[in-house]
Amino acid sequence: MSQSASNDDLQTRFELKTVLETSRMLIESRKSDFVLNNLLLIVMGKLLTTKAAILLHNPGRHKNYTIQKARGITRFSEGDSLRFELDPNQKKHPHFYYRDYSDSIPPLIDNMENTLFFPLRTSNHHLGFLFIDKKATGEPYTERELEFVESLCIISSVAIANSQLFDELKATNRKLDRRIHELNTLFDLSKEFNLLADRNKITQIFKFALLGQLFVRTFFLIYKTPEELSLLVSSGLTTIPNKIEIDSIFEECPVDVLPIEEDCLERHPSLKKNGIAHLIGISIQNEKVAVIGVGERVNGEPFTETDFNFLKSLCNLAIVSIQKTYFIEDRIDKERMEEELSIAKSIQQGLLPNPVPKIPGIDLAAQTISSHAVGGDYFDVATAPDNNTIFAIADVTGKGVPAALLMANLQSMLHVLLPVDITLAEATERINNIIFRNTPSDKFITFFWGKYIHKQSIFRYVNAGHNPPLLLRKDTDLFEELGDGGLLLGALESMTPYEQTDINLNAGDLLVCYTDGVNEAMESIRREEYGEERLMECIRLNREKTSREILEAIVKDVRNFTDGSLQDDLTLLIIKADG
Amino acid sequence: MNTFKINHRTSSGYDVLDLYGELDAHTASQLEDSLKLLIDSQKSNIIVNCKDLDYIASAGLGVFMAYIEDVRSSGGDIKLTNMNDKVYNVFDLLGFPTLYDILDDESDAINKFLSEA
Repeated sequence: MSQSASNDDLQTRFELKTVLETSRMLIESRKSDFVLNNLLLIVMGKLLTTKAAILLHNPGRHKNYTIQKARGITRFSEGDSLRFELDPNQKKHPHFYYRDYSDSIPPLIDNMENTLFFPLRTSNHHLGFLFIDKKATGEPYTERELEFVESLCIISSVAIANSQLFDELKATNRKLDRRIHELNTLFDLSKEFNLLADRNKITQIFKFALLGQLFVRTFFLIYKTPEELSLLVSSGLTTIPNKIEIDSIFEECPVDVLPIEEDCLERHPSLKKNGIAHLIGISIQNEKVAVIGVGERVNGEPFTETDFNFLKSLCNLAIVSIQKTYFIEDRIDKERMEEELSIAKSIQQGLLPNPVPKIPGIDLAAQTISSHAVGGDYFDVATAPDNNTIFAIADVTGKGVPAALLMANLQSMLHVLLPVDITLAEATERINNIIFRNTPSDKFITFFWGKYIHKQSIFRYVNAGHNPPLLLRKDTDLFEELGDGGLLLGALESMTPYEQTDINLNAGDLLVCYTDGVNEAMESIRREEYGEERLMECIRLNREKTSREILEAIVKDVRNFTDGSLQDDLTLLIIKADG
Repeated sequence: MNTFKINHRTSSGYDVLDLYGELDAHTASQLEDSLKLLIDSQKSNIIVNCKDLDYIASAGLGVFMAYIEDVRSSGGDIKLTNMNDKVYNVFDLLGFPTLYDILDDESDAINKFLSEA
């Protein structure tokens, strides 16, 4: 009796010691693998069974139990999952025999009859089961052995729960670390991008940040430049998509993340060849401006919602900076253009006589008002070698820089021909032929010029297709039109000579030369032109004034008529013979 | 002021890049230039010694991503060594240890190259 009692004692002490040591070991451990292995091996050794397993519960998954550890089991391997449901109360029993639940739990080994399940749980969580086969000797388990296993299960459950919590915390911490790193990356880049105006550098930094942060090797960025869609930057592409593919990829991609479907890959072979897995459309102020394609992560880990959010933020940041570089370029171009125009304007103004010279016996006024910075209207006043005075007015078709170039050309010809001893008509013919040969066929010049022969008070003129200047002689209200001459300049090579006509210009006679900017000035609402009638009326009303005053009166009348706006260049040259 | 610097030397016939300071968006292009120079001159067994690297940003990691295939397709490798914990943590966070050999010491990298040869 005493022998058996001390044996019992010894047994109890041994078991207690095991439980104590195990508990110490388990509680200090942070690794669930270690905990589970220990539980399994201690139980197998202590209870002399050759088959045992630990099934861990996976809440939320269809196969809700995973065989985490297994020994001596051939039907399943570690890591296999299976599904069964038990009454929640059943999971709270310290242990149960398989035979009582054979219809709800699938068999783990061949002969399940006397096998046992020990629920693993904490006070509020079901963690899984410890499964053991019957004793290798075939004897039934004693009450005491079962209690021992139950104790071990309780201690192990706490340790498992702890290590699971620890793993979870570790994972959460890691996730947080990643988020912090993502934020740092965005912060870093926004700082860097702000300093950069070099598009190439921006796209390179963007590329590296994307490759590094997302851990991908393949990527491309299609960007909508002001002119076209272009592949702005890429990495790891084996096949560069052609223009057609670039356009259709951009077209098809919505402003969001698009996992690529099979048919999209079929239609875009370059996406397939390069292993592009996702397309992301980026919009700024509701306009799609870019599409990014990325390959799978190198380690195979799928992208999460947060990854895509990061990607979108990163892209937005880069796109805004890239846009900025285009805006800056645009502005620089514009500024340079404006500067050039303003230089051209001052050159052109230098081609016109300024101030308008004083001519003895004549009250003269002339002015050009350009609707653009530079224009195609021209007037001139020059002294011929015979000391007589040349007056000229011209209008080049079109406006702006092209017209100004041709106007400059005409000005130089006129001055080159001035000292040459030829008639006005011959000079006109030469100018016409040169312009005809040197300019496109849709560029013409209407041109009127005349020579005032002081001694005889004769005005000798040639009109090459210009609005006939209006002559208002003293003591009459009727206008004469100086229309004789020939074809406008630059339309045809001279076939018939230009005609020159002499008229007398007596004291008090008034000659008004103008370009079509005057008579064709448009009133915008009724679409009505200012017209010759209004012009003549204005001249009549102001005929007693000086040339300068008449000129100003006409300009004012035209402006009043059009509400201030001038669509075309406007030039007036007014000659009044002193009386 | 950023104090990033790269030094190039050879050790046992392998090309070693020593990185100093902070490798971020601003300095990533310097590393790119150094790697390109090696790749263009057919050097493909490259050791990057990070002993004096204080900080690395994603853009820095991206440079390695962009060139690893070029180096490996010509039969070589980029091996990274001597990282401090902070720098290693960034590599680890983004999953780099699955793609790159990251070794404790430069001599380990040399031995690894020798064993692979």
